[in-house]
Amino acid sequence: MTKYIAKRLIMSLLTLFAIIFVLFILIRIMPGNPFPVERMSAEMILQKRLELGLDKPILVQFADYISMLMGGSFGNGTSLYNGAPIKPIMLKCLENSFKIGVLSILFGTLVGLIIGITAALHRGKFLDGLCTIVSILGVCIPSYVFMIFLQYFFSYKIPMFPYFFDPSRFLSSAVMPAMSLSLFAISTVARFTRNEMVEVMNSDYVKLAEAKGLYGLQLIRRHVLRNALIPIVTVIAPLVVDLLTGAMVIEKIYGINGVGKLMVDAIAGQGVDYNYVLALGIVFSALYIGIMLLLDILYGIIDPRIRLAAKD
Amino acid sequence: MKKFLAMALLILSALMTGCGGDESAGNGRLSVMLQSNIVSLDSAQATDSASFEVIADCIDGLMQLDADGKAVPALAQDYDVSEDGRTYTFHLREAIWANGEEVTAEDFIFAWRRHCVESSKYAYIMGSTVACIKNADAVIRKEISPEHLGVYAIGSKTLVVELDAPVSFFPSLMCFPAFYPINENFYNSLEKNSYGTSPETFLSNGAFKLADYVPGAASIQLVKNNSYWDAARVSLENLQYQVVSSSDNALTAFKNKTLNLAVINGNQVVNVQNDPELSQNLQTIPTGLLNYLSFNQDYKNNHGGALANANLRLAISNAIDRESLVDNYVMNGSQATYTAIPLRFAANAKTGEYFAADQKQFSDVVSFDVEKARGFLEKAKSELGAENFSLELIYANDSGDTVVKVAQAIKSQVEGNLPGVTLNLQPMPKAEYLDRVTTNSYDIAITSWAPDYDDPMTFFTLWTTEGCEIAEHWSNADYDKIIAECTIGDLAARYDERWSAMYDAERILLENAVISPLYTNAVANLISSNVSGIEFHSVAIERAYKSAKVQ
Repeated sequence: MTKYIAKRLIMSLLTLFAIIFVLFILIRIMPGNPFPVERMSAEMILQKRLELGLDKPILVQFADYISMLMGGSFGNGTSLYNGAPIKPIMLKCLENSFKIGVLSILFGTLVGLIIGITAALHRGKFLDGLCTIVSILGVCIPSYVFMIFLQYFFSYKIPMFPYFFDPSRFLSSAVMPAMSLSLFAISTVARFTRNEMVEVMNSDYVKLAEAKGLYGLQLIRRHVLRNALIPIVTVIAPLVVDLLTGAMVIEKIYGINGVGKLMVDAIAGQGVDYNYVLALGIVFSALYIGIMLLLDILYGIIDPRIRLAAKD
Repeated sequence: MKKFLAMALLILSALMTGCGGDESAGNGRLSVMLQSNIVSLDSAQATDSASFEVIADCIDGLMQLDADGKAVPALAQDYDVSEDGRTYTFHLREAIWANGEEVTAEDFIFAWRRHCVESSKYAYIMGSTVACIKNADAVIRKEISPEHLGVYAIGSKTLVVELDAPVSFFPSLMCFPAFYPINENFYNSLEKNSYGTSPETFLSNGAFKLADYVPGAASIQLVKNNSYWDAARVSLENLQYQVVSSSDNALTAFKNKTLNLAVINGNQVVNVQNDPELSQNLQTIPTGLLNYLSFNQDYKNNHGGALANANLRLAISNAIDRESLVDNYVMNGSQATYTAIPLRFAANAKTGEYFAADQKQFSDVVSFDVEKARGFLEKAKSELGAENFSLELIYANDSGDTVVKVAQAIKSQVEGNLPGVTLNLQPMPKAEYLDRVTTNSYDIAITSWAPDYDDPMTFFTLWTTEGCEIAEHWSNADYDKIIAECTIGDLAARYDERWSAMYDAERILLENAVISPLYTNAVANLISSNVSGIEFHSVAIERAYKSAKVQ
């Protein structure tokens, strides 16, 4: 197992390196540059470029960047756009997106599981159809449309929640964005849970368990759910990264100071902030890779057969 | 299951406490809308009017704008000007920073030197094209040390500024945040690059203090600064900024009373005017922002070639119906403009009349006259030996749909009035747009420029040979000469002659149709009926809240 994890770790680092390289090149190809030029003379811009080493060959710049990254700093550690330090600001934004992301994952998985299990237990009946309709709607409606809908009804028509995100009232501000973000998770989890459970419930070992006299919750929990869980965990994992790394449109509409908004501003503000885009890209990729790694280890815990297979 | 239900109920009740809107109204709390994030609270980094507005809420400069936009003393109690207009002596009043330290002349010197040394985005304003502070250009170019910058302290309360040329608008320039003081001890006690990134790293001496802010944040909270020298004038206890990027959202938030001041777009203005209640909240405020067409005269990357012909430029400029643009497409109270200087800006110190008051002055070259436009086009066709011109019109489309509608209208007007001319619309994100205009990869661009200081020169210096980066690649020795004489030359000291020389420069500019002015922007605001005293300016600080009241 240790050898397996070590191997996976090395692979992950290589993947990350490749991502950084591609990102680094892509950003330079993108139209736009980091300097809001309107009020700076060509001479001053040139001076800034020299200071930041942007005049060097791109591969040299990349090597410089990697060595600075090894030293724990994203480039020169400041925004090229307004000179503010990257790390504290990014952490603050990550924290906001994380909190809302976690809420929506918890809510989404819980509700998704309930809907999925209900549908599977009543397969072919009215409730099953209803759950399917709900989960298809959830995939079809973009989360920000749902967000606008919630904002209109639950803070404009009925003033239950703040109209814009208010950090001093975090919990009540987080309800609407977390709910809209969880919509996709709910429907995905519900669909997978239903399908997997239906399959597992038709299998011989469940029939055997039933024949032995097991029924109800015990049967579902011990035999059905546990076996149905592997594919479900597989779909939840990327969802988790999606939700943790913020929602660009929702954060923009609701005024949440999160990483999604930070990323959009860094790309589509007045200038393209190379340092921010790269830093966020690296953090997002690392998160994704990290969660996928965790997932592989989790498989082993949920289903010992996978652990055995890895040993061979 | 029961446990679960109990938990759910508990969470729900926790969420519901403290809910409920309508918190913005009353109690000296004002909530205003920003259309985009502020760039920075550090005046050396800020480039946008929103940043300047928040900086000015928190920090006072030597001078400030009064309700009519005139410069009146702020931290300077009064000032003397030497006879030759080249030395200003400011006498500071007793005022303290929020940490209790005194505001001294050294604080100004530190901030001004820092602008030059760090070649900040607004460093140019210290130099010979604007403020003409002695040795500023050389310090910015790092040729001499910052100690040589022409600004000195006599004792802690007297600031002497030496200029290379008499600058008639120097006092009004002192209202601009680049000239505000920074407490040197405080600044040096901070970690590098962290100034102005949080309430702890920002020190105010003005009407408000920063209570909650992180860079890029969608909301900013300010509270009244009780140690402000003029605190008696300030009645707001809380001032909140909320970034709202969609104007639909802004309108709903205003109706919801979440915002006391919201900015709406042209389409909404029409709806609001038909609403008996909301129409009373509508206030259209003229700004100093000029929207114009920039013609690229430099032949590069297959762009701009034909536009080197003045008659082609004049033809396009005279084929545009500006009144129709503002009435049918912009619709927010913006006004058609036929001069290179926006309306309601740069009043003559003697007559009080705005520089661009006479809009008919250049009607022979800037007007809407299809016959004349076609005449120019015929000349262009014979001079260039071509019958058809296909030009691209670029614009940034990420700041609302007004510019998109304007671009479409210009296309249909120009193509309809000038047979043989085709405009290809090219919308793009702002970052790419800026890239294109600075690398000459465009034919015609819809551009705008806001004044940095209260003098027509803030526009005229754009079009000199050495001008700014959005350059039309036009060069005219006569024009350059007039501008040089008016800034650092003989005319700088002679007010009336300078004023009429600037009209001569404007004539050269418009006869050559270097640009085609379109309209002066206005902002359509919805303001709660219980709010009064917000001051609006067309230069530097767009909105000020020192005298604002909420009943």
